[in-house]
Amino acid sequence: MTDTGDQVKKPLHPAAASSQAFQVADIRPTERLFDDPEGRDRLEKVLSRYPEKRAALLPMLGYAQERNGWVSDESMAEIAGALDLTPAYVRSVTTFYTMYNRHPVGRHLIQVCTCISCHLDEADEVFERFLSETGTRAGEISEDGRYTVIEAECLGACGFATAVQVNDRYFENVTPEKVPAILDELD
Amino acid sequence: MGYPYSHDLEVGTLLSRHFGNEKARTLEGWKELGGYATLPKALEMDPDAITEVVKNSGLRGRGGAGFPTGVKWSFMPKEPSGAHYLCCNADESEPGAFKDREILRWVPHLLIEGCLIAARAIRAEHVYIYVRGEFFPFSAILRDAVVEAYEDGYVGQNILGSGWNCDVTVHLGAGAYIAGEETGLMSSLMGGRAEPWIKPPFPAQSGAFGRPTTVNNVETLAAVPMILAEGADWYRQWGTEKSPGTKLWCCSGHLERPGTYELPLGVNLRDVIYEVCGGAPDGKKIKAVIPGGSSTAMLTAEELDCSGCYEGMAEAGSALGTASPIVMNEDTNIVQAMRRIAQFYAHESCGQCVQCREGTSWTAKILHRIEEGDGTVEDIDTLYHLCEQMTGRTICPLADSVVFPLLSSLDKFRDEYDALIKR
Amino acid sequence: MSDAANHITLTIDGVEVSVEAGTTLLQAAEHAGVVVPHYCYHPGIPSRPAQCRMCLVEIEGQPKLQPSCVFPAGDGMVVHTTSETAETARKSVIEFLLLNHPLDCPICDAAGQCMLQDYAFETGQLRSRYAEAKLVLGRDRVADDILYFGDRCIVCTRCVRFMEDLAGDNALVVAQRGHKAYIDTFPGKDLDHAFRGNIVDVCPVGALVHEDFVFKARAWDMDSSPGICPGCSTGCNVEINVKENQIVRTKPRLNPDVNSYWMCDHGRRILVMANRGVRAEAPMIRQGGELEPASWNEALSWVAEKLSDSSGVAVVSAGASNEALFYTRALLDRLGIQGGTFQVEQGEEVTLTGFPRLKLRADRAPNVRGAELHDFRLSEELPEVSDGATLVVLGDALSGAAADYGANAGFFLYIGSHLVPAARNATAILPAATVPETEGTFVNYEGRVQRFHRALRSPGVARPSWMFLSRLLEHLGGPSGVREIGDAFAVMATDTAGMHGLTWSGLGLRGELLSEAGQPAVAAE
Ligand SMILES: Cc1cc2nc3c(=O)[nH]c(=O)nc-3n(C[C@H](O)[C@H](O)[C@H](O)COP(=O)(O)O)c2cc1C
Ligand code: SF4
Ligand code: SF4
Ligand code: SF4
Ligand code: FES
Ligand code: FES
Repeated sequence: MTDTGDQVKKPLHPAAASSQAFQVADIRPTERLFDDPEGRDRLEKVLSRYPEKRAALLPMLGYAQERNGWVSDESMAEIAGALDLTPAYVRSVTTFYTMYNRHPVGRHLIQVCTCISCHLDEADEVFERFLSETGTRAGEISEDGRYTVIEAECLGACGFATAVQVNDRYFENVTPEKVPAILDELD
Repeated sequence: MGYPYSHDLEVGTLLSRHFGNEKARTLEGWKELGGYATLPKALEMDPDAITEVVKNSGLRGRGGAGFPTGVKWSFMPKEPSGAHYLCCNADESEPGAFKDREILRWVPHLLIEGCLIAARAIRAEHVYIYVRGEFFPFSAILRDAVVEAYEDGYVGQNILGSGWNCDVTVHLGAGAYIAGEETGLMSSLMGGRAEPWIKPPFPAQSGAFGRPTTVNNVETLAAVPMILAEGADWYRQWGTEKSPGTKLWCCSGHLERPGTYELPLGVNLRDVIYEVCGGAPDGKKIKAVIPGGSSTAMLTAEELDCSGCYEGMAEAGSALGTASPIVMNEDTNIVQAMRRIAQFYAHESCGQCVQCREGTSWTAKILHRIEEGDGTVEDIDTLYHLCEQMTGRTICPLADSVVFPLLSSLDKFRDEYDALIKR
Repeated sequence: MSDAANHITLTIDGVEVSVEAGTTLLQAAEHAGVVVPHYCYHPGIPSRPAQCRMCLVEIEGQPKLQPSCVFPAGDGMVVHTTSETAETARKSVIEFLLLNHPLDCPICDAAGQCMLQDYAFETGQLRSRYAEAKLVLGRDRVADDILYFGDRCIVCTRCVRFMEDLAGDNALVVAQRGHKAYIDTFPGKDLDHAFRGNIVDVCPVGALVHEDFVFKARAWDMDSSPGICPGCSTGCNVEINVKENQIVRTKPRLNPDVNSYWMCDHGRRILVMANRGVRAEAPMIRQGGELEPASWNEALSWVAEKLSDSSGVAVVSAGASNEALFYTRALLDRLGIQGGTFQVEQGEEVTLTGFPRLKLRADRAPNVRGAELHDFRLSEELPEVSDGATLVVLGDALSGAAADYGANAGFFLYIGSHLVPAARNATAILPAATVPETEGTFVNYEGRVQRFHRALRSPGVARPSWMFLSRLLEHLGGPSGVREIGDAFAVMATDTAGMHGLTWSGLGLRGELLSEAGQPAVAAE
């Protein structure tokens, strides 16, 4: 396990507004994003960093996921409205990227890298072990709502195979044997 | 120096000196370690003079293509007619590569200083550091460093009292390897699908937000402060004539000590694998190495005696790429490994070009079938045909990226394919 | 060698061509008579993503094949569009595209007009070495009248870029990426733009189809004639597809001065609907209180005899051709009836933002300018008919009239194609061919005189109004009647200010502007 790099609570600096972790366990589902001061503040700070409104799209999709755990059609439409884009355009961009969840996921999204370097290690076994330990099939939410396990492409930690990402954290050098301990550590 | 292991090849440790030292992460600690000493010098220099030093140092882009950095900067207009931008490419998603993240998390201020100096040289007013979304822990460290740098006047308005303004924004991607390709990166930064565009327009004419833009890799930019501080000749004491300096090598796969190591360019690849990384564990033999990240041609164990620099790896029939050797031991099923690589490219193709969109997934499917024992002799012909049709035909080189390892695996490990087909 | 500074000379497939600087290789090849196969490029859509890679050509001295749709022609360049490398690359693009293509040509609506089928036949590749299971995507709806067949889609993004670049409404997009990419709208937000139908035309395969056209006709058993859309005063140039004397589809026909490659959906529907309703199929004259059928000769001499100089009123349609209006005016002159009015239905104006001269214009009639040119006047009301006066009606001007309109007239001459209720009050009915059943001209909003051709046979003995009106005038002592549209046009051009010098053949397929005399004091636009 490595750093999580959480900030101390002080007002968000605009330079940091486009880089907040958006795959987090701490979810406060709200229906609307920009009805409260927090949402409007984030939007304003993000917008202040770019010469064009459209550039705020990825940061705001991230914000939707940060709050709700996934990016719903309603969020897309709301963001489209805020950035003068069509909802269809927002959907086109959202579905291009793999990190925006189009459906709710478990509180811990477990992404096992099975790409080449991890594959040469024990990635496939690690993946299977996560599935069996959580009693899920790939992409499902476990019955207790805690886990969703999926395969991921290279996580940029190839020297530390097998690499596993759980929400915004990295677990490295994971072996099948370490899987139960990792799950225990997650609330 | 390296991370997590060090090595004893006699070299200067330039980028990696503070890897593993948490002190380097904070502005205060970093200044104690001698950080931000070069920025004041850059602020007094003429922008073109900075470019000249970098040009003379022979620094080449570390993002994979090895394009001379100073030359790239010199393409930017000298008389700005509006905003210029610098994009720092921290999308690091090539299988095998994991070097930029070490810079992001251990020496974020070194990167910020490099970005500012580069921005000064190309007359940019805003630096966007595009970090792949998955890198939350590392982008958080960088982000906090940027905020600190703002608070201490290293970034923002009137930097260090010089009257020069430059902003830095950390911008997260969201899961797309193709956002690492420079035009794909800018498409994504502008709030779009990370689709590469056909050049022209070149970024230096019309890049991010339609303005002149330079895209540089993290490692490239991190090398800039010391080059400016110590001079071009100093930097050239490492590396070769055509590939000066040091390089972070990311070594993964079947190795005793995998990790990131800073080594001079021109280091013998065999030494990297056997001396630095200790060869394959458990006394196993090495069968093949993909030397420069998954998009480069495989080398057999016999071909490893080559010079680890841009020209040396090209001579060996492969490429330095991101200097990310992926090592496969004697037990590796080459067809299966190749299938896994093809699967990656099929998953990451943006889908604009027919050859890439259809070719990558077809390749992965054929390889999968061969792996399952259902292959035919014709499949081999088809794979060769695909290699031909996916080379040099597309908007960006992603389609070519699958061809290099595939073609070399067919040429060099044909017996493994044949064995599966005959079964 | 370049002759002028702006001209470059290059060789394409052995043919030397000279083109303006900035011309792409694909366009330059057209000058050399070579069509380079292409999918994503569409001459009317400004964005050129060069993504299908179908148009790759070989340029001597260049290591890689280059996409001719964006690559600029260079002086002295030697280009091969059919060299072995270029041909193999193109064949392989087709092979790639056929991987997941259903090859259901026998039931596909685009069959016969499909750029994939065409090239696949040309290169002799209808079978592939693809042994994997095909991706099966069903059909989906992108608008209430347009279906999307995902398995036929080659993701050339023409439709997406039409909506973005031309319609300015980013409502159709690529969803997902790579081999999973497909075209989609936002859930619950189907396309509703007034020009959406063009996405069907730009689709190079049969992935987008108009629902009301599905399975209706095959390209090879339809006839096609050039027409002008009667839907509004823009006068889009169209191609009318006919099967068994029925209009089954209207498609835009290129006219860079008017509508480029496009037309609106109102226009697409209007012609298909035009021939519905009860038609006037034979001349009728009122004898003994009843309307009785008559032969043309009988009817014309009867009308000539009964019609006399008198006071009266006239009402015409702004959907009638100039020729019909001209001969109506001649008839009115002979009868001493002055003036005459027409009505124009008004609708919302919609601009095609990427080609702003094309608008679905508020005036929902094709020949407002023509009616004005022949001294008819716009009026919101039908003229009042005083008891015993003469009433002359041309075209479908009475569709909204009260059923007893004209019942009090002394002589009510109805010249029209449909038997609307008020027509029953006529003294005589002369059955006219509809616009698609005849030839003629309209003058559009900017004063462009445009020809339309005949697409349909008329029912019964209905005839073009200009033809029988000229004969009626002959019966009334005028010059002998005309039988050819060219002659009718010539007579009109001589007698009409603004049309001097125009000839039927000279109008060609792009039309010509009226001379200044025909333009109102303040330019229309
Ligand atoms: C498919 C593809 C993926 C790429 N990914 C990255 C990447 O993740 N990081 C990077 O720095 N460069 C990447 N590149 C190279 C960039 O296009 C670009 O050349 C580089 O960022 C320029 O920086 P440099 O000159 O400092 O190397 C990629 C290129 C391609 C074709
Ligand atoms: S080569 Fe592949 S990734 Fe690159 S632009 Fe074309 S389709 Fe996209
Ligand atoms: S639906 Fe037709 S026009 Fe649209 S992308 Fe597919 S093939 Fe191209
Ligand atoms: S714009 Fe007018 S003329 Fe053109 S198609 Fe539409 S209705 Fe017909
Ligand atoms: S291959 Fe697993 S992290 Fe790179
Ligand atoms: S037509 Fe040129 S690439 Fe598609």
